[in-house]
Amino acid sequence: MVDLPSVPSPEDPEAALAAVVALRRLAAQLEVEAVTEAVARGWTWASIGEALGISAQAAHKKLAAEVRARRGR
Amino acid sequence: MGLVRAIRDIRTIKGLLTGAETEARGTGDDVPGPEHLLLSAAALPDGSAARALAAVGVDAAALRTAVAAVHADALAGVGLEAGTAAAAPALEAPATGPMRTSPQAQQVFQRAVALAKRSSPAGLRGVHVVAAVAELEHGTAVRALRRLGVEPDRLLAAARAGDGLPG
Repeated sequence: MVDLPSVPSPEDPEAALAAVVALRRLAAQLEVEAVTEAVARGWTWASIGEALGISAQAAHKKLAAEVRARRGR
Repeated sequence: MGLVRAIRDIRTIKGLLTGAETEARGTGDDVPGPEHLLLSAAALPDGSAARALAAVGVDAAALRTAVAAVHADALAGVGLEAGTAAAAPALEAPATGPMRTSPQAQQVFQRAVALAKRSSPAGLRGVHVVAAVAELEHGTAVRALRRLGVEPDRLLAAARAGDGLPG
């Protein structure tokens, strides 16, 4: 188990599970921001997929529309 | 089911689901959960959800703030400070394809429809969504309500008292 500072006690599953939910949301937010920046710097979807550990197609399907919308603003 | 009521229910469902999607995407969530259905129900024109929430001292703005605070508190619990200024930005791409919801949001929706069939007058109203959310025991919606000092049981009682819901 990762040794994080002040992790909610496993004896409080409610708080620990809420932390998982919040971390998932944060990871999704970071993913969109990082991929938007990578595309802006000329990364291909193949490279992005490789860096994320998913296929190029999966990365494109999941994020392309949001990246396009953010870059078009 | 009468045709008029069927059409009204379809309009309500469309408003409810579209509103939930807008609430979710507005806070960076691509899939609506029960908290987004609850917020959307509070804005439905029948007013019954907003009345049930008001009966326990809650409005949509307070609920929205509480949902954000639940996530921020949870992050703080693992040593990550996410100030309100760093709240998740809205998704900007228009939603496309068939709408997806979390399994819990589906459960809430199905339960609300079941309550609507048994209530008097019949027909789906926002208060049915409130009651269905108030029957949940865990998750962001429940934590947000508790953060506002509202036990789900109390909200359920308010929903039943106000709008002819089945017991």
